[in-house]
Amino acid sequence: MGAFIEKPRFTCPLGGALATVGALPRAVAVLHASQGCGGNSIGAIMQGAGHTGSGYCGGASIPTSAIGEQQIVFGGAARLEEQLESTLEVVDAELLVVISGCTAEIIGDDIEAVLRNYRAAGGGRPPLIHASGAGFKGNSYFGYDSVLKSLFRDYVVPNPSKKKGKVNLWGLPPALDVFWEGNLIELRRVLEGIGLTVNTFFTKRDTLVELKNAADAELNIVVSPVNGVAAAEVFKEVHGVDHLVTDLPIGAKATANFVREVAQRLTLDQARVESFLAAEKASYYHFFNRISDSYADLDFQRYLVIVADTTYAVALSRFAQHELGWVTSLVAVTDPTDPEDRPSVLRRFEGGLPDPERTVAFETDTSQVSARLFERWPKPDGSRYYRPFSPAFVIGSRLDKDFADSIGAGHLSVSYPISNRFVLNRGYAGYTGALHLVEDVFSVLVAKR
Amino acid sequence: MSYLHLKVPPTRDTRLRPCNAYGGSLCNLVDGQKTGCLSANGRSFTQATGCQLTLSMGMAASIPNTVVIYHGPVGCGAGSLALSGQSKESQLARGNDDAVGRVWMSTNLSEVDIVSGGEKKLEAAILEAERRFRPHAIFIGNTCVPAIIGDDIDNVATRLQHRVNARIIPLHCEGFKTRFVATAYDIVYHGILRYLLNGERDREPILRDEAAQIAYEQRAKRTVNLLNVGSMGYVDEVELVRLLNAIGLEANVYPCFTSPEKFVKVKDAALSISICATHDDYFVEHLKEHYGVPYVLNTIPIGTDNVRLWLLDVADFFGLREEALKVIAVEEAELNKALAPLKKAFEGKTAFVSTGEIRAGAQACMLENDLGMKVVGIRAHHYDEFGEIVFESFKGREDVAINVAANQPFEQVNLIDRLKPDVFLGHGNSNVWAAKQGVPTLPIYGPNNSYLGYKGVFEVATRLERILANPNWYNTLGETVELPYKKSWYEQDPYAYIRQDGEAA
Repeated sequence: MGAFIEKPRFTCPLGGALATVGALPRAVAVLHASQGCGGNSIGAIMQGAGHTGSGYCGGASIPTSAIGEQQIVFGGAARLEEQLESTLEVVDAELLVVISGCTAEIIGDDIEAVLRNYRAAGGGRPPLIHASGAGFKGNSYFGYDSVLKSLFRDYVVPNPSKKKGKVNLWGLPPALDVFWEGNLIELRRVLEGIGLTVNTFFTKRDTLVELKNAADAELNIVVSPVNGVAAAEVFKEVHGVDHLVTDLPIGAKATANFVREVAQRLTLDQARVESFLAAEKASYYHFFNRISDSYADLDFQRYLVIVADTTYAVALSRFAQHELGWVTSLVAVTDPTDPEDRPSVLRRFEGGLPDPERTVAFETDTSQVSARLFERWPKPDGSRYYRPFSPAFVIGSRLDKDFADSIGAGHLSVSYPISNRFVLNRGYAGYTGALHLVEDVFSVLVAKR
Repeated sequence: MSYLHLKVPPTRDTRLRPCNAYGGSLCNLVDGQKTGCLSANGRSFTQATGCQLTLSMGMAASIPNTVVIYHGPVGCGAGSLALSGQSKESQLARGNDDAVGRVWMSTNLSEVDIVSGGEKKLEAAILEAERRFRPHAIFIGNTCVPAIIGDDIDNVATRLQHRVNARIIPLHCEGFKTRFVATAYDIVYHGILRYLLNGERDREPILRDEAAQIAYEQRAKRTVNLLNVGSMGYVDEVELVRLLNAIGLEANVYPCFTSPEKFVKVKDAALSISICATHDDYFVEHLKEHYGVPYVLNTIPIGTDNVRLWLLDVADFFGLREEALKVIAVEEAELNKALAPLKKAFEGKTAFVSTGEIRAGAQACMLENDLGMKVVGIRAHHYDEFGEIVFESFKGREDVAINVAANQPFEQVNLIDRLKPDVFLGHGNSNVWAAKQGVPTLPIYGPNNSYLGYKGVFEVATRLERILANPNWYNTLGETVELPYKKSWYEQDPYAYIRQDGEAA
């Protein structure tokens, strides 16, 4: 699948899986891969994702079998076994996840057999699961799903009884969504506001015990049209829990829609939901409307270019259209999409863009974003009344800064990679997140004052 | 030792037989290296390191007007995602106003390509790189997967060369082929030697009249190649060029941050000057053999002792010893005056050093001899025959822990826990593990700071003094963060997982 890519905005499944395991409390990844696969990924995961850091056992600490020529010829399973045993001795882990890379999978190491032997040894060892991270199988979004699928299949304990009002929520891959933790915290806050119990797996408050007991949920909520959907199918198949696939909500309008969608699905008390939404809305616009004087006096409406993966592209388009009142001229969707899936991705933009067909471009190559804009907006032709693409703003990644500069547009890194900002507990989802987004975007506009 | 007839140069594993896993005394390390008996050492517990691909392509990508193509699955080269801005800054710092930073592509090999081969995708990427960017050179970095399935990148390069203006440079930097990341330097230099310096595409100086030709040749006699593979920031380049100018030499810096069309002049220089044998031995030896350019590569100019050694090496070649000694006397006097008020801060302080062998040895020496600190431990990424000279002053010092390891933070944390240094000077990705133990850290190299020459001594001293002035952030980190290692690990021998059967990485 797919041709070459210029400056791809993601890494391989192994990188995505590493970021995912690294975001689970006290879980440790063991790479069964070439020695450099870890080192190659950590820059992308750490500095590329708002300087998220090495965490518990990331960075240079990731245990790695370091397959070399010898293992490629004679097999690497014994080396993996040895590495697992020594990891148990040195590293304090509550869950081990073997992530296999390209070399291990090409030479066909029997990783499942290694897992069986490990489990057979028993003796109070931390549980061990396996997720495929082979680079040729896809990209880091695939790696996120790969880990989730293994967790749901091999770690989550089956439980036929379901708890009313308990939900699991995912769809935001750690690192690839640089704001994943802040986003999860806010979406949980919102859903708790309507009386739900929410399991988000990847925040500081979550524990492996809760992940293990996730099978008694009433509903799984996937806040991305693409990421985590395959894992939700596995969850349904293994544990019989239905899922709701929806978009990442940013801002009062989108979040209210999200909450109503969930409430309807779970048949919650409508009055309670509406009273919660009313209070949130009032609080939100109390702050949001502080931009009004500058917006009105300085004309802070902008033409907008969005460069982001499907999840963020849809969410940001809606927010720009309905909350900021900006005019979006190009949405470059940067994660690879199968041509067959494109019509359904385009449908996601309905209601968020006046003309999705015209505005959305599927473009994985960084330098070509500019070309996609000037297919939609006339290039300067020397005429006196040429209409420049101005005033303009680019919400993209760090890679789009040069493009923004080239058209004299403001720029904010929101999509991956973000190496020019630090991100701690900041999120852009929900109500609080949207206010952060407004702060960050409008701060760019007044940065020189 | 010419290897230029080969498509793929030998790895460090076979060419230099270095050691990558050792713990103990310096004496046994030096002896063991000489007999070659340490080169088979491995570990039964290993942690993520870099690979030669990442380093090769990082080095290639620093060269302006180039495109690097990672031939492999989409994740190979993902480290670039964190560095695109920094590459541009480094080029801007050197006066390249048109800097665009790192331009890279991935051939994005899929499962289908594993079966049917990836050469077609590589072809398409090369042609598109030429069309979009019009670069001077296109580096192809071969990764593990195409090497295993048997893609012939040399053949693709040869086939397409007549269709593109850029010089196509295939680099065989597959990660699984070597345990020594430093092989990357040889790989990139091999590409430069084979494809940029050699052959009909060399852009020789335009024909000059006789007077101009004589002037050029005279100048060349006093012109040196100063080699920077990326570990020298611009401020360091400026400092070393200043010192070379001071004894009457001119210097051109290669290969990082220098546009490929300028490389041809490398062959005309009177001398090649390396600041690190780990980086440059392959290149300077080939330059000597093929183009008659001699070289010096004994040491890295860090700390007054090694700056002196380095500058005298260069000066002796040109018969400029007297001039150099004068420069050294003036510089050292001025530096010592500046250091004097800082030294109080270092009294009784201990330090731990961790980085490549040459830099580690020289930096440790600088901390003791220039600042009066006491070094309690030295870690080197690997150890080979070039290490002896910089470790000279630590011979017989049983009080200094010597560890050879590429990262491997588990050994580091164990050592730090025992030795409790006041400050840690380390390579990227290793500092944080010392910091998490509450130890203040100073990055041992970096693109924006000064480390080399006399200025480097002063700058490192001032930065260390500042870091020691308020270690509160480190203390808090040490108190509030949890390391992933079992308590029992700290009670074990830090070298418990080093073994000598050559099995593990």
